[in-house]
This record gives sequence, structure tokens and C-alpha cells, in this order.
Amino acid sequence: MKLSNLTRGILKENPIFVQLLGMCPTLAVTTSAENGIGMGLATTAVLIGSNVAISMLRKFIPAQVRIPAYVVVISTFVTVISMLMEAFVPALFTSLGLFIPLIVVNCIILARAESFANKNGVIDSAFDGIGMGLGFTLALFVLGSVREILGNGSIFGTAILGASYKPALIMILPPGGFLALGLLLALYNSYTLKKAK
Amino acid sequence: MKQILKIGIILLLISAIAAFALGFTNEVTKDKIAEQRFLANEQAKKEVLPDAASFSDITGEDLEAIVAKFEPIQEAYVGLDASGTPIGYVFKSIPNGFSGAVVVVTGLSVDEMVTGLRVGSHNETPGLGAKAKDAPFYEQFAGKSSTSPIGVSKTAASGNDIQAITGATISSVAITKGANASIDAFNWILENGGVGK
Repeated sequence: MKLSNLTRGILKENPIFVQLLGMCPTLAVTTSAENGIGMGLATTAVLIGSNVAISMLRKFIPAQVRIPAYVVVISTFVTVISMLMEAFVPALFTSLGLFIPLIVVNCIILARAESFANKNGVIDSAFDGIGMGLGFTLALFVLGSVREILGNGSIFGTAILGASYKPALIMILPPGGFLALGLLLALYNSYTLKKAK
Repeated sequence: MKQILKIGIILLLISAIAAFALGFTNEVTKDKIAEQRFLANEQAKKEVLPDAASFSDITGEDLEAIVAKFEPIQEAYVGLDASGTPIGYVFKSIPNGFSGAVVVVTGLSVDEMVTGLRVGSHNETPGLGAKAKDAPFYEQFAGKSSTSPIGVSKTAASGNDIQAITGATISSVAITKGANASIDAFNWILENGGVGK
């Protein structure tokens, strides 16, 4: 059990800024800070669950069919969570329901199962899930905030740039996702390069 | 051969457990989910036609005629006051938005005006088309006249027009299409002197 499994996903091996995983949902849902956090937290929950389940099953699943086995486990998890949420916490489902089907196709989940959970113990895998999930949430939040501030002049739905600011609408349209992500990646890399020197 | 059988059986086992888990969750949650959807439906009807004390479903031949004539309407309800007199109609239409079906619930009162409109489940772009669920957009419909169709304006709306969501004209037009089909169906019902005759 190592604490570094928990922390390294947040910045050092951030799923978005370093591993560039899960770009599709990243670009699609980060039109606002709130969406970013929602998608991030929903993914974190599934990531912890699937990491734990796959770590428990790692001796049982034959190497030749591990990918189909992971896909079955992950999609079962997502569907069960979605049904339980709709039945018992409808308010949460209304705000997060949009993101849940997107999680199934999020390759972060499969990547962590393949590269971490099937080689490590249950607790380490849970830590990895929490760390990677939080790193993903943080990155989506930053990306969503930048796009929402520039593209809509607001943060969490509250206008902050005043009425005279003309929103750069392109930032919340799909091209803005690429622009914001590219610029943030450049910033992040220049920071890590400087630090390494 | 033996190896393949073993792998196949393990994969079968994993899938069978997953299927069982899904079936079990569905069994536990399906009544709850149906109830939540029913409540949300009732709530939506009440919101678009607040004066009605109760609603009765339009069924059978009347509904078939409405659905056949006024695409994309799917369901229709009569709003009754406390003494059982019809005071308005609610239509559920499912036009095609930017990325798939959008559920639009429109209420009309016999005073020849739209009493309200709500957008239900949809797959529109978060931050753009998804803004149709925000009050500033859907509240534009309340108070519009039912004697002429509602138009969509990209700039300042006047008369019987509503202003489109910036960057989501397709979504705005789709929702307005649902509203206009509801207006047509409403006028048709009034001309025929009500339903159920």
C-alpha cells in the first residue's frame, strides 16, 4: 500500500494533462465548470468501483480475454449505478444523467484497469482510482472554467465579467474545446519543463 | 482445446454474473424508476398548465388522429378544472433536435394562449442546446398567442417570435416545431368542439 498511488494521478500523471486519456468526453462536456465537475465526479465513482472489482478478479480473469471481461465489468457497473441513481436520487440523476452513458466509453477506466488494477492489490487500486478520478475532475474543472469564462463570461452560471464583455462564443463550441485544451497543455508543459531545469 | 473451453467458461461466468446483477438491479429499481418518471410527467403537465386541477389522458381514436395529423406529437392530455370542465390541453411532442429526440411539453389554455413549455429529456450539447432547459429560454413561450405559429428569431424577438439560444439555433427551432405542432393540434381540437365525441 503506497500513498503515492493516491497522489500521482492528481498532477504528476494527470490523466488529461499528462496521459491525454479520455479526450472524447473531455472535449464534449467541458462547456462549463459545473459540467466538468459533474462528469469528473461521476467518472471517479465508476473508476474506483471498476478498479476494485478488476483488482479482485485479476487472478480469475484469463489474460487472453481480459479486455472483453473488463468491458463487461465496467459497463455493468455503469448501468447499475445509473439505474440506482434514477430510482433513488432522481435529483442527482437529472444533473449527472447526461454523463453516465459517456463514462462507458471513457478510455481512462479501461486504461487504469489494464495498466494498474490487474497488476496491483485492491487497496492500491482503489487509491489509484481515487487519485486518477480527482486528477480527471481537476483537469475537467480547469478546462470547463476557462471555456465558460471566455465563452460565456460566467463561472458556475454566475456572470463575472460584466455586461460589457462580449463572450467569445467559439470557446464553448467544439473548436473552443481543442483551443482551450491545447493552450492548457502548452502551459502545463512549459511549467513542468521549467521545473525540470 | 481444453484451454479454449476454460477461457470460454470463465468469460461466460463473468457475463452471467453481470447479467444477473443487471437483472436484479432492474427488478429492484424498475417500479421506483417508473414512479419517478410518472411524477416528473405529472409535474411537467402541472407546470405548463398551472390552472388545471387534474388531467385526463386523451386516448384511442382521438389520440391516433392527433398523432397522425400533427407530427411529432406523441401524447395529449386534457386539463380539467375542479368541476371537471376542460380549461386547456397539454401535448407531449418529440421533435428531432441537434443530436436526437427532444421531449417538449406544451400547455395551451382555452383562452387561446400558450400557458407554458418545458423541455424534458434530450441529448443536446451541454452549454448550448441544453440551455433549452433553463428558464430564460422556455419562459419565452408562456403567453404566446395560439392563433398564429411561433417564430424563431436569431436577434431580438418581437411579436409571436421567441429568441433562439445563441449557438443552438437547431435546438431552438426543433423545440419551437414541437410547440407549433401542439398549437395546430390544439386549434384542431377546438374546431372539432373538444375530444371524446
